[in-house]
Amino acid sequence: MKAKSLTYATAIERLESIVEALENNDIDIDALQSKLKEAQTLIKFCKEKLYTADKDIKKLLSTEEE
Amino acid sequence: MQTDGHLTLVELNYLIRQSIQHCFPQSIWVQAETSDVRTASNGHCYLEFIQKDLYTHALLAKAKGIIWSNVFKSLRPYFEKETGETFRSGIKVLVKVRVEFSELYGYSLIVEEIDPTYTIGDMVKRRKEILDRLTKEGVLNLNKELTFPMLPQRIAVISSATAAGYGDFCNQLRQNKRGIVFYTRLFPAIMQGDRIEESIIQALDKIYTCIDQWDVVVIIRGGGATSDLAGFDTYNLATSVAQFPLPIITGIGHERDDTVLDFVAHLRAKTPTAAAEILIHYMNQCAEVLERLTQSIYLLPTRLLQTEKQRIATYTQYIPALVEKRIQTEQHKLQSKEHQLLSLWNSRRVQDSFRIESLLPRIMHAIEKKLNVETHRLALCEQKTRLLSPQHILSKGYSLTLKNGKTLKDSKDLSVGDILVTHLAKGKIESTITQIHKKNES
Repeated sequence: MKAKSLTYATAIERLESIVEALENNDIDIDALQSKLKEAQTLIKFCKEKLYTADKDIKKLLSTEEE
Repeated sequence: MQTDGHLTLVELNYLIRQSIQHCFPQSIWVQAETSDVRTASNGHCYLEFIQKDLYTHALLAKAKGIIWSNVFKSLRPYFEKETGETFRSGIKVLVKVRVEFSELYGYSLIVEEIDPTYTIGDMVKRRKEILDRLTKEGVLNLNKELTFPMLPQRIAVISSATAAGYGDFCNQLRQNKRGIVFYTRLFPAIMQGDRIEESIIQALDKIYTCIDQWDVVVIIRGGGATSDLAGFDTYNLATSVAQFPLPIITGIGHERDDTVLDFVAHLRAKTPTAAAEILIHYMNQCAEVLERLTQSIYLLPTRLLQTEKQRIATYTQYIPALVEKRIQTEQHKLQSKEHQLLSLWNSRRVQDSFRIESLLPRIMHAIEKKLNVETHRLALCEQKTRLLSPQHILSKGYSLTLKNGKTLKDSKDLSVGDILVTHLAKGKIESTITQIHKKNES
């Protein structure tokens, strides 16, 4: 349900902030794992958006095309 | 020549040619629009001159035109240089023509000269009027000012279903190298002739009813005759496109000079393929950003962990070294204290022994002195003792009398008949008491 409200733009923004934090050494080693997990989820979401044809969208968009 | 009052076709056409030559003995300047401009391999240019109704754009007149290669090879560069426009179909021209009629090929206009200023004037005038009006109404840049979507992925395409352009567009999208997904749907429109404006506006209206489903609108048209570009230069179409709430990309397949439609659209591409490339380019940028981020996400923590490992490794080496160093420092301290103590003790010992050595003669001297005194005192005692000894006293004539080995001092301890031993200086005698005199009696 969280993923539903997520947009590509916010996902990218979040990824950027994680990378920035990593670059600036702002992430504790203890928090590293959870941040990585979050980043992986976001990357997966973004990749799907770019590379995986969404059946729902396809169906929605082709309703009037015979 | 006359047969049964009829004319043969050749005869008729000959007469027509005669009349035309008679009517138009000289070349004349004529205004018209070009259409179906074709250049043959021999260099001659064949075209149609047409005239349309100003408002309905319905075709009002048409004439075949020919520009012979010897004229065309200088006419075309001159025209193109002056107008900045390809000599093509769909432009208004002012040409000097010779009216010709051939029995076999019919009526045609042989072009001798062209006046580019007329074309420029017409194009500029028409577009300027529309653009001025759009500017005045404040809508000219509205579509351009829209934010282009981050992911232009869902594309509403306005095109003719039969034209090659739509197919080229979809193919181009599908064959993008990264394999990015695009969603397209065709909203069919007539892209030629008089109904361009009305048809595109209808398609836009249809898209508007489901606008949330789309990221971007693309208006494309394949190749084919380009004599109908005027259809894209209309006020109604321009204002609809300018005010449409989604960014619009055009790719209506002409090389030079924007139509008003191109001018108000968010982006213009020359061809449908190029329009697809623009969309792919945007998506590629997004994909690149994502790839860069992904790389960083996987690389940075590894680097971070490595740094930490190194730090720990450093500590592992450093701490024992530190401890050892500390121990050494303490040992050194201890040693130096020991040395200090030893040297202190040594110096003290030297001092003491020195002192002892200095005391020794004094002690010896004192002992010697004491011995002398004592020796002297002993000698005195000896002398005294000798003077007081019983022997010495006996030798002086005194004697010592004992009773039963005890010295006698009082006569009351004696009784008559007791035997007494008297020691003299030389020898002793025994005697018996015959009479006792008390002390007072003597």
